[in-house]
Amino acid sequence: MIHGPLHGSLLWLIAFLPVFGALINGATGRRARNTKLVDALALGSVGIAFALSLFYFIVLMRQPSEGRVIIQELWTWVDFGGAHVLDGLTHNTVSWAYRFDPLSGAMALLVTGVGFLIHLFSTGYMAEEREDGRYYRFMAYLNLFVFSMLNLVLGANLLMMFLGWEGVGLCSYLLIGFYFEKDFAATAGKKAFITNRIGDFGFLVGFFLLFQIYGSADFSTLMGMTREVLARPEITLFGLSHAPTWWFNLAGCCLFVGACGKSAQIPLYVWLPDAMAGPTPVSALIHAATMVTSGLYMIARLNFVYVNAPVALSVVLFVGALTALVAASMGLAQYDIKKVLAYSTVSQLGFMFMGMGAGAFTAGMFHVFTHAFFKAALFLGSGSVILACHHEQDMRNLGGLKDKLPWTFRSMLVATLAIAGIFPFSGFFSKDEILWKVFDGWYRHGELGGSQLALLAWIMGMVAAFMTAFYMTRLMIMTFWGEYRGHGHDPHGLRALALPDEHGHHESHHHEPHEVPWNMWVPVAILGGLALVAGFLNIPHSLHWIGSSRFSEWLSPLLFQVGAPEAHEAVPAMEYVLMVWATLVWAPGAMLLAWWIYGMDPSWSKARAFVARFPNLFRWVHNKYFVDEFYEASVIQPTLRVGEGLWVVDGKVVDGAVNGAAWLSLFWGRVSFWFDSKIVDGLVNLIAWLIEQLSWAFRRLQSGRVHQYAFVMFLGFLVFALWKFLV
Amino acid sequence: MPSPNFALVLSFLLFSIGILGVLIRRNALIILMCVELMLNAANLNLIAFARHSGTVGGQAFALLVMGLAAAEVAIGLALVVALYRRKETVRVDEIDLLKG
Repeated sequence: MIHGPLHGSLLWLIAFLPVFGALINGATGRRARNTKLVDALALGSVGIAFALSLFYFIVLMRQPSEGRVIIQELWTWVDFGGAHVLDGLTHNTVSWAYRFDPLSGAMALLVTGVGFLIHLFSTGYMAEEREDGRYYRFMAYLNLFVFSMLNLVLGANLLMMFLGWEGVGLCSYLLIGFYFEKDFAATAGKKAFITNRIGDFGFLVGFFLLFQIYGSADFSTLMGMTREVLARPEITLFGLSHAPTWWFNLAGCCLFVGACGKSAQIPLYVWLPDAMAGPTPVSALIHAATMVTSGLYMIARLNFVYVNAPVALSVVLFVGALTALVAASMGLAQYDIKKVLAYSTVSQLGFMFMGMGAGAFTAGMFHVFTHAFFKAALFLGSGSVILACHHEQDMRNLGGLKDKLPWTFRSMLVATLAIAGIFPFSGFFSKDEILWKVFDGWYRHGELGGSQLALLAWIMGMVAAFMTAFYMTRLMIMTFWGEYRGHGHDPHGLRALALPDEHGHHESHHHEPHEVPWNMWVPVAILGGLALVAGFLNIPHSLHWIGSSRFSEWLSPLLFQVGAPEAHEAVPAMEYVLMVWATLVWAPGAMLLAWWIYGMDPSWSKARAFVARFPNLFRWVHNKYFVDEFYEASVIQPTLRVGEGLWVVDGKVVDGAVNGAAWLSLFWGRVSFWFDSKIVDGLVNLIAWLIEQLSWAFRRLQSGRVHQYAFVMFLGFLVFALWKFLV
Repeated sequence: MPSPNFALVLSFLLFSIGILGVLIRRNALIILMCVELMLNAANLNLIAFARHSGTVGGQAFALLVMGLAAAEVAIGLALVVALYRRKETVRVDEIDLLKG
């Protein structure tokens, strides 16, 4: 029985519903008297999209594994005509097509599902904006983002993916700069956009390279042709001949530059922490759960390129490990609750890239999912905290909120345990799987012959995991334990210096923080619940008595098999050792350390002593190693100076040339004028004068006297008559 | 057949009076009257010859000339009125706009 692609007649609606919501809300929301209508449209479109995704997901599950793909071609988008690719002239078209397969289906569920919860949360979080008349704008942007993200994941070819890729960048820019009247938000938006553009350039180059190699942008064709391409002895492009692997390495690295931009990896991660200037639901939706995972999704989607590109994979592995470590260390010394979570996100994305780099695409993708749940829960929880405490984000001014926001606290606690990797929370299954796969790259089933890079990356990853558990515990303790340090109550002198009063009502309101409304804590609780149980979807093989690795099996038809599929081998004892070590010693150790420093001693004297002892170390970490300042000095300032130089060139040379040309024209105009008025007009006047002189005799005839005319006429008549009479 | 000579002499006299009037008088109205005289002299001539030759073509032509004369007078008088309104005079020697 042949399993052709299933027909999905309503597939397009998944992506298009949110854009309808965005368009309608964007066009009419300003005039909508009742913002409930805006809510209904925004939530409804995403909710129905989720239901549709779920429906198609179930349809997919009922198919045998090799037939699990639904493709819907809407129209031909670009017709390249005859394109020169390797085999000569071929006819190429790129369609506006959607592809629902195990990977994109799961991502679509994630995007619409988490997206819906965050839309719901936003109805509460953005309630203050309802009066300002810009609430509709926020909802329209969120919907537009969901549309772009769905295009990215559901697109059936690289061009569709690129469309979504750019779209999410745009929406991210719009949403970070939502409070654009504030300078820092506008700047952060620009920073995110420009940094992403740098990455997008890499993505485009990689995309074009792949198109040159394969002559197609369609994922099915790409994957199907890979073996054929690999079988070639060499490929010649742009006059260069290299083995296919060489070109795959190049394309993989270029695409990874794009992933670095979108998924905030070193060196392009700097925009993500600044992106926290946007409203908190945005931080949760875009900058934790969905958009930043698009780089991972791209790598998983193009795994057939990456498994055949060992150098590109090593780059991914190393950059991921470095990012995980550096970003985690930056998170240690932040006081802004959202900044901690932002660095945590960067660090966790680094973990995912480590997994990808180790060739464990399913492990990386699984961490994408668990991370989406627990990080969205953490971000939304922090949003609840911020709102409950009247836009206070500095953890030194929070504290003791455990009993005041019980639901938020419980959800965030679960999420924290998940991110720290405690058994049996979801993070344990996903993160430890990644770390094990990386370690396995060096360990290779007991023979220590693998790459040294894998060992280095594993060590960096372990340190980063320790730091993760530490800073998350620190965040929880600072926020939820101890005493509430709001409204001036501060027995231990921990309060940060009063910040410029942005909202004007911090100190005037002296009422206690209290639990947020249901439409805010329910999404957080759902996400917390998912963070608790999601891990059981993908139990590693070594723990097969608990359950099976459903997620890996689900994605396996999309993975490019290098060799013959390996039979399940015996689980190395080392894996159990590391697993037990991670969940019983390593993560709890970090958490206990944080508890010892911040929890047992409400004045944090040990932390303060540490800072006093190593002031420079703290200064460096707290200021994020001055990377922003370094970029400012090494990239932005030179660019500005080049711009100024070009401006001078423009002013002096270009404008000078233009002005010179103008002067010349003017001069030539004067010469022409002189010639015209003296020579040409002179000639004309001369002729007129001559004619005037010649005409004097005729003037005499024209006396103006009627009698004379009549007389002449009579004479003429007489002459005529006489002539007639005589001749 | 009666001789047309008498009528021809009368016609000649009338025509001469008309043409002298046109050439000598300065009042536009008189000039118009003289033009009428000239036309009617011609009519007389036509009828005289018609009668002499026994045909009716000349009489018909005279009728045509009378119709023409009526039209000419209408236009001529209109011009004189328009002229008077503009120049407050009907003396043709005072009007020399076409003097070169």
